[in-house]
Amino acid sequence: MYKYIWLVPLLPLAGAAINGLFGRKFRFSEQLIGSIAVGSVALAFLISVAAVYSYGFGGQAHWPVPYLTSQDGFSFEWIPAGAVSVNHGASYALLNIEWSYQLDPLSSIFMLIVTGVGLCIFIFATGYMHGEAGFYRFFAYMGLFMFAMLVLVMGSNFLMMFVGWEGVGLCSYLLIGYYFDRQEAANASRKAFITNRIGDFGFALAIFGVISTFGTAQYTQVFAQAKSFPLETLGHWGILSWIALGLFIGACGKSAQLPLHVWLPDAMAGPTPVSALIHAATMVTAGLYMVTRTNVIFQHSQTMLLVVALVGAATAIFAATIGITQNDIKKVLAYSTVSQLGFMFMACGVGAFVIGIFHVMTHAFFKALMFLGAGSVIHGMHHEQDMRRMGGLKKYMPYTYWTFFAGWLAICGVIPFSGFWSKDEILWSAASTTQIPLGWLIWLVGTIAAVCTAFYMTRLMAMTFWGRERFLETPAGGEADEAHASAYDKGLAAHDARLPSAGDRPRHEPGEHVGPVHETVASHVASHGHGGHEHGAHIPHESPRSMWAPLVALAVLATIGGFFGVGPAFRFITRAEHPGGRLNIVNWLNPVIWNPATGDFKTAEGGHEAAAAPAGEHGSEPLAEATHEGANGFNLAHAVEGSTHNELATEWIFIIISLVAAGAGMLLGGLFYVWRPSLPDIWAQRLRPLYLASYNKYWVDEFYGWAVTRRTMDAARAVFSFDSKIVDGIVNGFATLSRGLSRVVGGVDKYFVDGLVNTIAAFVARLMSPLLRAAQTGFTQNYALVMVVGLMIAVAAFFAGDIVTALRGIFAAVM
Amino acid sequence: MTLSGYEALFFWIFALAAIFAGLLTVMARNAVHSALFLISSLVSVAALFVLSGAEFIAGVQILVYVGGVMVLFLFVIMLVNVGAEERGRDEIFNNQRQVTASLIFCFLLVGGVLYAVSTGYAGLEKRYPKAEALVGDQTAPTQQTGPQNATGTSHMTKDTERIGGSLYRYASLPFEIASILLLVAIIGSVMLARTLKQEASADDVDPEVLLEEVARDLELAKLEPQSE
Amino acid sequence: MNMLNCFNPAFMFLFQETDGSRLGLMKHAALNPDLSKFLVIGALLFIIGVAGVLTRRNIIVIFMSIELILNAANLNFVAFSGYLQASGHVNALAGQLFAVFVIVVAAAEAAIGLGIVIALYRNKETIWVDEIDLLKW
Repeated sequence: MYKYIWLVPLLPLAGAAINGLFGRKFRFSEQLIGSIAVGSVALAFLISVAAVYSYGFGGQAHWPVPYLTSQDGFSFEWIPAGAVSVNHGASYALLNIEWSYQLDPLSSIFMLIVTGVGLCIFIFATGYMHGEAGFYRFFAYMGLFMFAMLVLVMGSNFLMMFVGWEGVGLCSYLLIGYYFDRQEAANASRKAFITNRIGDFGFALAIFGVISTFGTAQYTQVFAQAKSFPLETLGHWGILSWIALGLFIGACGKSAQLPLHVWLPDAMAGPTPVSALIHAATMVTAGLYMVTRTNVIFQHSQTMLLVVALVGAATAIFAATIGITQNDIKKVLAYSTVSQLGFMFMACGVGAFVIGIFHVMTHAFFKALMFLGAGSVIHGMHHEQDMRRMGGLKKYMPYTYWTFFAGWLAICGVIPFSGFWSKDEILWSAASTTQIPLGWLIWLVGTIAAVCTAFYMTRLMAMTFWGRERFLETPAGGEADEAHASAYDKGLAAHDARLPSAGDRPRHEPGEHVGPVHETVASHVASHGHGGHEHGAHIPHESPRSMWAPLVALAVLATIGGFFGVGPAFRFITRAEHPGGRLNIVNWLNPVIWNPATGDFKTAEGGHEAAAAPAGEHGSEPLAEATHEGANGFNLAHAVEGSTHNELATEWIFIIISLVAAGAGMLLGGLFYVWRPSLPDIWAQRLRPLYLASYNKYWVDEFYGWAVTRRTMDAARAVFSFDSKIVDGIVNGFATLSRGLSRVVGGVDKYFVDGLVNTIAAFVARLMSPLLRAAQTGFTQNYALVMVVGLMIAVAAFFAGDIVTALRGIFAAVM
Repeated sequence: MTLSGYEALFFWIFALAAIFAGLLTVMARNAVHSALFLISSLVSVAALFVLSGAEFIAGVQILVYVGGVMVLFLFVIMLVNVGAEERGRDEIFNNQRQVTASLIFCFLLVGGVLYAVSTGYAGLEKRYPKAEALVGDQTAPTQQTGPQNATGTSHMTKDTERIGGSLYRYASLPFEIASILLLVAIIGSVMLARTLKQEASADDVDPEVLLEEVARDLELAKLEPQSE
Repeated sequence: MNMLNCFNPAFMFLFQETDGSRLGLMKHAALNPDLSKFLVIGALLFIIGVAGVLTRRNIIVIFMSIELILNAANLNFVAFSGYLQASGHVNALAGQLFAVFVIVVAAAEAAIGLGIVIALYRNKETIWVDEIDLLKW
């Protein structure tokens, strides 16, 4: 069955093509467009499930060997590039890049995430985008995005990944700028694309490095070669470190890490399903995919691993602190995404790549859930996105509330929800890592970020769903309502593009209502026409089933999804390091991860056998080294273990600490926003500088604007003035020189040459003209005379000899 | 072909008459006199033709040249030249220089021709020795004659017969071409001699020119074009 | 012929046989004109015609001089034709044939030319050629 994985990217593309090319022309109904889009993704999902099942669990399971579609002929030769020189001309390799898909443990996980979560989001979007004029366009772009993302994760070589990489960047641009007539959306889409491109530059350089070092771009071949490269320890910077640097720059751009994170919050100007799919579940995880795919290269470069971990940690804490003070529900979720991505990179940096991917999976579940829930809230609140005007929505939108509740618990890391399993393992890996130094610092930063995460997510829950209903108390306040009201004053349609917006806002007809609850208050809403600022607040309503059904599905996943990665801390229950056999993500993914100790990929089923177990294997901490100082500086886990002398207890200590951190954050959030609502303002005043820094996103955008954008424009202006003054000056100087020269030559010609010609001509004319003029008498008989003379001359010439003889004769006779 | 006897006498009479008449044609003051002198010159030349044995040509000369062309000349003289006599003395010759130059070149030409004839004739005699036969010799092979004429003084010659035979057999193409030439000449002369009125009524005048002419002669405007 | 016998003495003087002297030759040449005399007569007519074309002011007289020229040419043709007939040349009649065509052409040319003269007279009201000098510089 896994032979047919090549259909998986193709089906969404076909759906996108049909919708895009024919959707408007033949005026497809929304139902048709939606069915085509959802159907194509659903079919892709089913095929993925079948393929992964037969790959990993079927009778002739292919796992763990990667399966390439070229083995069965479902591929084609894409770039037969010929000979390339390798290692600075040391040797040559024949570079043939083919377009084939690879099914291996890593890509299978991503296939399932992308198509599965994507399916939920597509179904949600059919309800959310109802009434849009560009319905077909939305689903065309979404289908194109699915295609690009699947090419990215299923590609068998770096160039296919790059194609997918760029493709998702393009679709992100198209989808963020979906409301293209709004300046805010246009700016955001441009910002996203350009920031992505900066990262792509690094990625491209890395690909060049890969090709010139290994002579091939195919994963299987590259990693087989890279295995045997020497390890580049801290401070030693070799070719693999360069490649890893380029790759990581690409990952920073795509996955919104510091300093290229600036596009993700602005990308919330796109429709909510876009934010859910692209900026929570799939595109931003492409960086993670890439880092994990190339973990061989990364693990060879200790410096880069440290860089990855530090950047991830910095991003996590940075974004978490910003999220505390934001008021737009989507912006909170955006910064939460950035922060969680930082967590994932932290995991990869400390060597726990599998846990990073695990966190990708669980994060996809609960973040997509929360984004869709936020979309449902926004829809129900008639496009109100400011949390200050929400509150108490629990009783108005029950489905949304309870599913969001599950997501909240998951992200905070409460056992047994999915977020707990992955986040805890990350922190444990950071504390116990032996691959890089400063593991303890990473752990500390991660824990603080987890506290912040719990805090702001609780804040979000409190402000949105609990407490009093603030939307009833603010009659004509807020941007959205004010815009709505003033629209009636000005006679513009509501939701006009010219009005300042509070975020994404689909185009409903002003009187259109969706959902059953709203009919009872239709009369109230119908009284919009009374003009003026006297404008009642909207009564929120639950979303239609097409919107809350995916929420339920995702909530289920967010709840139980963590059981795919039960860690060794529970081995006293499960009797296994990683229970579940191949269903456990660690067992499933291990063959993709390189083991620096053995020099080869990790064996399946964990190589946990204690005696021969090499250090660095995830999840097993042999007691061989009883010293605090591991191979790389202070190791926190070892230190703790030194005290407890029980590795299980050590693990459980860290678990308790992370649970306590989560609980503390939740309690703090509850304190500030449920029990003592006056506290936030007091503390905001007390910590005013910090508050301002957080609220203004640490002024990063302004700094970039000043340092990069304006300086670039200044440079452009300087270059322009150089070109226009100096270069053009030179050219114009030549022109002036030519003109001067031509004037001189002209003078010579006019006075000397022409003078000569004129003199001669005048002389000849004066001489000959009267003579020649005299011949033109106009008198026919003169002409006849001339003819006769000519005739005589001709005859005489004919008889010249005879005439001469005769004349001589006469002359002789006379004389 | 040597003439002798009376034929020589008539030759000299007609030759001198032709020359004299030609001279007077050129020198006559009155155009009508010039025409009449030309007629007499042409008739003399016709007689010379007869003496050369070309009776048909002589007849054609009289009929066509004198009877047609010279009559036409006289008509045209009457049309255009009548006023000249009444005005009195007009110069008939061009200016002095033209006349002088012409006479010089003419004398040169005549001298050249005479000389050429005299020197060339010797060669001609050598080439065609049998030409000494007398024209009137009836035994000469080329002088086959027909029956006697009405007065009985001579025989009718076969010249016309021979010319007719040659003209319609060997020279039939030039004959046809000549007839077309005459047709063209007829059409051309009709066209050339039309008045403005005739041209306007046949719609053969350029509109701009017609406007000009109408300004001068208002009767033209009344003409209706005969063709559409 | 009988009536002419009274002129016999003059004829006898004139038509007697010549001796070989120069005067005799000349007399013989004069009394027995042959082709050369024809040609000379033709040449003289030609010259007179050319002189007339070049010197007269009256257009009609110029045309008549042209007719003289053509006539001189005709005389030449016919003289040669007769001469060749006498000498038994196979193509002797060609001269007379050509003379026919010359007459035809002369007639056509005279018609057209006089048509031109009439058109010219209508436009310029003059027959003096030296007044028709529009091509003068």
